Amino acid sequence: MNMIELRNVSKVYEDKSVALKNINIGIKKGEFVFLVGPSGSGKSTIIKLLIREIPVTGGAIFIAGRNICNLKYSRVPQLRRNIGSVFQDFKLLPNKTVFENVAFALEVIGRPGYVIKLQVPQVLKLVGLEHKMKSYPHQLSAGEQQRVSIARAFVNRPPILLADEPTGNLDPVNSEGIMKLLSRINLIGTTVAMATHDRNIVNSMRRRVIELEEGEVIRDQKRGVYGS
Amino acid sequence: MIFRPKYFFGETFSGLRRNFLMFFTAISTVAITLFMVGFFLIIVYDVQAILSSVKSQVEVAVYLKDNATQEFRDYLESEIKSWEEVSEVVFISKEQALEKFKADNEGSDILKEIQGNPLPASFEIRLSSPEKVEQIALRFLTKEGTYIDGVDEVIYGQNYVQKLFQITAIAGSIAFLVIVMLLLAAIVLIYNTIRLSIHARRKEIEVMKLVGATNWFVRIPFLFEGFFEGVVGSIIAVIMLFFISNYLLIRGEKAIIDTLRVKELAILGSSNVILYIYAGIIILGGLIGLLSSSFALKRYIRV
Ligand SMILES: Nc1ncnc2c1ncn2[C@@H]1O[C@H](COP(=O)(O)OP(=O)(O)OP(=O)(O)O)[C@@H](O)[C@H]1O
Ligand SMILES: [Mg+2]
Repeated sequence: MNMIELRNVSKVYEDKSVALKNINIGIKKGEFVFLVGPSGSGKSTIIKLLIREIPVTGGAIFIAGRNICNLKYSRVPQLRRNIGSVFQDFKLLPNKTVFENVAFALEVIGRPGYVIKLQVPQVLKLVGLEHKMKSYPHQLSAGEQQRVSIARAFVNRPPILLADEPTGNLDPVNSEGIMKLLSRINLIGTTVAMATHDRNIVNSMRRRVIELEEGEVIRDQKRGVYGS
Repeated sequence: MIFRPKYFFGETFSGLRRNFLMFFTAISTVAITLFMVGFFLIIVYDVQAILSSVKSQVEVAVYLKDNATQEFRDYLESEIKSWEEVSEVVFISKEQALEKFKADNEGSDILKEIQGNPLPASFEIRLSSPEKVEQIALRFLTKEGTYIDGVDEVIYGQNYVQKLFQITAIAGSIAFLVIVMLLLAAIVLIYNTIRLSIHARRKEIEVMKLVGATNWFVRIPFLFEGFFEGVVGSIIAVIMLFFISNYLLIRGEKAIIDTLRVKELAILGSSNVILYIYAGIIILGGLIGLLSSSFALKRYIRV
């Protein structure tokens, strides 16, 4: 069974711009997948569809075998608790410390205090920032900020992690650190899908590559490279 | 959903601490706008009280000719009593009129010049519907426009009474309109302030939705904050009203009371009305705060 499955998915935005045309993608549990393609090809659209930030226009999306397209609005939070998401712009709260930023993700889903005290330092250790717990985001480098945002996405141990250009704002050294981190998270059994423009990263990782162009899948390779 | 007071209150108050400027702006907006509403409400209430007390003092005095007979007097008295606009009729004889005149002018030289009793007997008519005063007065006139036999003169403040009634009617509706507009302005201002403070925290809402917080979990701290701002702001408004009414206006009101013999002024606290106004302002503040947050959140909640 696929962890993530898109069946004949199409997406047309309100302004009639067509982002996805009849897409079929299956991603198995524990896989690591790159979504590549030129700007505007529909990578971010897929990620937004998976967390139900936007509705599909046609077709169906299954997460762990469940069709999320007909999910009741009140069930969406439950879906999102099972999908960690990471973005190019980190989305950290500037007035909270590193610890608070990560803890916030557990607090707002009603986790008790002892779980927070246990899990936050653990995940900060995983991303290598246990010594920066009391720092504020503006006191961190961009690479460190992205690691905090990964810690926040992963602190609840979701089975799926989605990353939309997580290295888009980072230099090669920091990008490499982030990729190591994502690999490690993937090794623990997490299904990871990452949209990226970064040719070097894709080529060095040798993972499955799904290439999009104008809303269509034009390539799906087991151990692929960035450009064909 | 699990209710976690520690999180909600903690989030609310840390929100207040971090967004102190926003918080301060919202509270002062509530305080100032509701103070204006309350202040105007009290003024309008008091002016209405003064006017209605002036109205209730409207009397018609019917002076009789000296040659009016006892039969005519009895006939006129029973006739007047039968009119439903009349609440009380008092007969003042020539002797009573003279005594009252003497009492009113005690020690004055004018008393020495009085010979015999030049004062007429009269009926003093108090009205239950003071605005009918002109119609009542007209009943003492014949078709030719002269007074009916036995009546010397009818006095009811012809010049100002009718104007007074017109002015109170117009003032009443203008005041109502102004209060409604003030209230609308207050609501719009408070709503916008609260909307701005929520807008300033849209990133927080975005993250909450992203990590799977339920709508209620996102909403409650904001609702609580809006309610809190509304209540605190309106309590400040009430405190300002209390001091203003007690220490600034009270002198002016005392003077009004002495000259017009009005007892029911809201501002004096002699009536419960002021308490209702205060309670109403606080309830209104809390409600506007809560509803403003609730409506303003609608835009951000569906991320
Ligand atoms: N909110 C939106 N409203 C209307 N059209 C949109 C919206 N978001 C994306 N699109 C359009 O959908 C298409 C796919 O956009 P998408 O953001 O998925 O591309 P992308 O592959 O992520 O590009 P990039 O690499 O630049 O991030 C584009 O043509 C874009 O203009
Ligand atoms: Mg994109």
